[in-house]
Amino acid sequence: MDESADTSVGADELTDEESSEGTDPSEEGNGSDPGAYTTDTRTLDPRVRWLWVGRAVIVALVLGGISAAVAGALAPEQPWIGPAVFVVATALGTAHALLLYRSWSYEVREDSLFLDRGVITRVRTVVPYVRVQHIDTSRGPIERAMGLSSLVVYTAGSRGADVTIPGIRPLEADDLQTRLKALAIESEGEDAV
Amino acid sequence: MQLDPLSVPYRAVEGGLQLVVGIAIFGIAGAGSIGGVEGVAVFGVLVLLGIGLSLGWQLAYYQRFEYRLTPDTFDIDSGVISRRAREIPYGRIQNVDIRQNVIQRALDIAEVRLETAGGGQTEARLRYVGRTDAEHIQEEVSRHKRGESEVPEQDTKDRGETLFELDGRELVVLGIVSMDLRLLSILAVPASIVGPSVFTEFAPATASVAVLVVGLVGLVVASAVVSAAIAMTRYYGFVLTDQGEEYRYERGLLQRFSGSIPKNKVQTITLTENVIARRLGYASLSIETAGYAGGSQGGSGSQSAIPIAQRAHAIELAGRIEDFEGLDFERPPKRARERYAARYGIVLAVLVAAAYAVVQLTSLSAPWYWLLGGVVLIPPAAHLKWRNRGYRLEEDYVITRNGFWSRRITIVPIYRIQTLVTAETVFQRRRDLATLVVDTAGTYSLVGDDAKAVDIDVRAADRLRGALADDLQEAIVEYRHRREHSGPIADGSTDPDEMAGGSSVGPTDG
Repeated sequence: MDESADTSVGADELTDEESSEGTDPSEEGNGSDPGAYTTDTRTLDPRVRWLWVGRAVIVALVLGGISAAVAGALAPEQPWIGPAVFVVATALGTAHALLLYRSWSYEVREDSLFLDRGVITRVRTVVPYVRVQHIDTSRGPIERAMGLSSLVVYTAGSRGADVTIPGIRPLEADDLQTRLKALAIESEGEDAV
Repeated sequence: MQLDPLSVPYRAVEGGLQLVVGIAIFGIAGAGSIGGVEGVAVFGVLVLLGIGLSLGWQLAYYQRFEYRLTPDTFDIDSGVISRRAREIPYGRIQNVDIRQNVIQRALDIAEVRLETAGGGQTEARLRYVGRTDAEHIQEEVSRHKRGESEVPEQDTKDRGETLFELDGRELVVLGIVSMDLRLLSILAVPASIVGPSVFTEFAPATASVAVLVVGLVGLVVASAVVSAAIAMTRYYGFVLTDQGEEYRYERGLLQRFSGSIPKNKVQTITLTENVIARRLGYASLSIETAGYAGGSQGGSGSQSAIPIAQRAHAIELAGRIEDFEGLDFERPPKRARERYAARYGIVLAVLVAAAYAVVQLTSLSAPWYWLLGGVVLIPPAAHLKWRNRGYRLEEDYVITRNGFWSRRITIVPIYRIQTLVTAETVFQRRRDLATLVVDTAGTYSLVGDDAKAVDIDVRAADRLRGALADDLQEAIVEYRHRREHSGPIADGSTDPDEMAGGSSVGPTDG
C-alpha cells in the first residue's frame, strides 16, 4: 500500500503550509491533528448481508411472479418456469449480496475518504475533505428495524456527488459523521465551483 | 425594477396558446354537441375567456414580479399566489445569459437567465425585460463581481478584446462538420408511418429494393442538411470577447443568444473534433462551468466557446484559457485493443445470429452470412478506438482523450477536481485494466462525459489516482497562497469561512 504513504505525505505538506502561514488559533483548537480522526480500513456491519439478501429475495419474488404470469399465459403446460426463475434469481442475488459485503471497505484517511466496493465492477472512490459539502446519516424503516444506518457524503461534483456508505451501525455512522465533519472543517473547504 | 410591459401580452400569447388549445378541444366537443350557430358562439366565448384569463394572470404576474440589484445580491420577489423572495450573491453567479427569439427581437424584449452552481435548474429567469435592460443587468452583475475584487476598474463599456469571430468560411465548415445522422431517427418516424402505404401503392415488386435505397438515401441527406442548417443558424455571427474577468459571446441568426463565462469559474475545457472535422483540420472548443443544469437546455450548445476553428487556432485559444503545456498523450496499453476487438466480435456475433434467426423464422430470404464479412472491420475498429484514447498528467492539469467518431480532449485543472473514481469491470480485470474518472462540478460530467482515462493499466490507474489526490491538496494550498499574497483573485467570496458553508441558493440535490 504505497498509496496510503503517498497521501499522508500530501497531508503533512498541507499542515506544514498551514502552520507556516500562521493559522487562526481558533481553528487550531478545533482539532490540530487530523490524524486523530482517521480510521483503519473498516468493513460494513455483517447484518447488512441480511438486508441485501432480503432485497434480493424480494426482487426474485417479483421476477418469479412476472415469469409465472407470462408463462401461465403463453405456456400453461409448463408451470415450473415461475418457481425456477425465482430460485435462480434468489441464488444469484444472494451470491451477489454476500460478495458485495465481502468487497466493501472504507477508510477515513488524512485528507480524503476512501471507498472500495463492487462485485462485477470494482469501484474505488476518493473524496477529498476539501470538497465535502455536507454529510447526512439516513435510516430507512427496514434499516431502523435491523439497527443499521447509512452515511451519505455530498460533494459539488456530479458523478460522485453523493457517496453512500450503507449498512453501518448508527453509533458508528454518528461517529463517522463527526469525524468527517471535523476533517472537512479543518480542511477549510474550497468548493471550487 | 419590473419586467418590460410588453412581456405581458407576449407571455399571455405564449402561455395562453396552450390554454386556448385545451379550451378549443373542449369547446369543439361542446360546440359539436350543441351544434349550429349557438355552438360556434359558445366556442368563441370559451376562446375569448381563455385569452382573457391568460392576460389577467400575466398582468398579475407582471405586477407581482420585481427584481433589484443590491450592492451584494441580485434579488427577485415574485409569485402571484405563493410569494418567493430570492437573493443570489453576485459571487455565486456562474453565467448570465440573454436570449431573444425572432418575435422577442421584434418586440425588443429578451430573456435573462442567471445560473449558479446550486439547485437543479436555472436560479433566476427574467421573462422578459427590455433588450437594453438585459444588457444592463449583464453589465452590472459582472461589475459587482469585479467590485468584490476591490479593483474599481474604469470599464468604459468597451466590448473587450475580440478573441474569436466566426467568418463565412468557418460557418460553412461548421455546417459540414455538424451533419448529424442522429436526426435520422426523428425523420424516420413519419417516414415509417407514411412509407409502407406509399410503398405498396406505387412500387412495383421488382423496383422495391431500388425505392427502398432511394428513400433511405433521401432520409440521410435530409437529416444531414437539416442538422447542418440548425448548427449554422445557431452559431451565425458568433463572437467571443475577453472582458477582463469574464468571457462573453454572442451568436444566433434567428434566436440571438449572449452569455457570459466568468474566468475564475471555468471548470474544464473540452476540445471536440469529429471525424470530418479532423479530416478538415478543424476543432471546436467548449468551456464548462458549474452553472447549467445538465442537459435541460441542450447543454453543450449553450457553452460553446468556439463553435469551429482551425485546430491550431482552437488549441492556442484553449491555451489562453487554461495554461496547459501540450497535447502529447500516453496511450492505454496495447492489450486494451484486444478488449475492443472482443467487444465488437460479440456485437457482430449477436447481429449475425439475429439476421440468421430472422431468415429462418420468416419468409424473408437474404444472404445473412454476408454480415460475417464484418469480421475484417473488427481489427481496424479496435485499433482506431485504442489509438484515440489517452491521458496526460501535467503539473496543474490532467488531460484525457477519448472517442474515434467524435474525439474529445478534456482539460481539467487539478484544482477543480471534486472526486476521483477508479472502476474495473470484470472484463477489465481479466486484462489488468481500469478506468479513472476525474469528476468536476462541470456540466458535461452530468451527462456522463466526464474526463476519463479509460482502460489504462490498473497499477497506473492507482498511481494516477494517488498522485492526483496529492496534487489536488497542493493545488489548494497554492490557490490559498496566491489569494493571500496577490490579493483576492475575485472569487466573489474571499472569506474561507463563507466558502466552507454551502454554496447554493436552492437545495443542492444533485
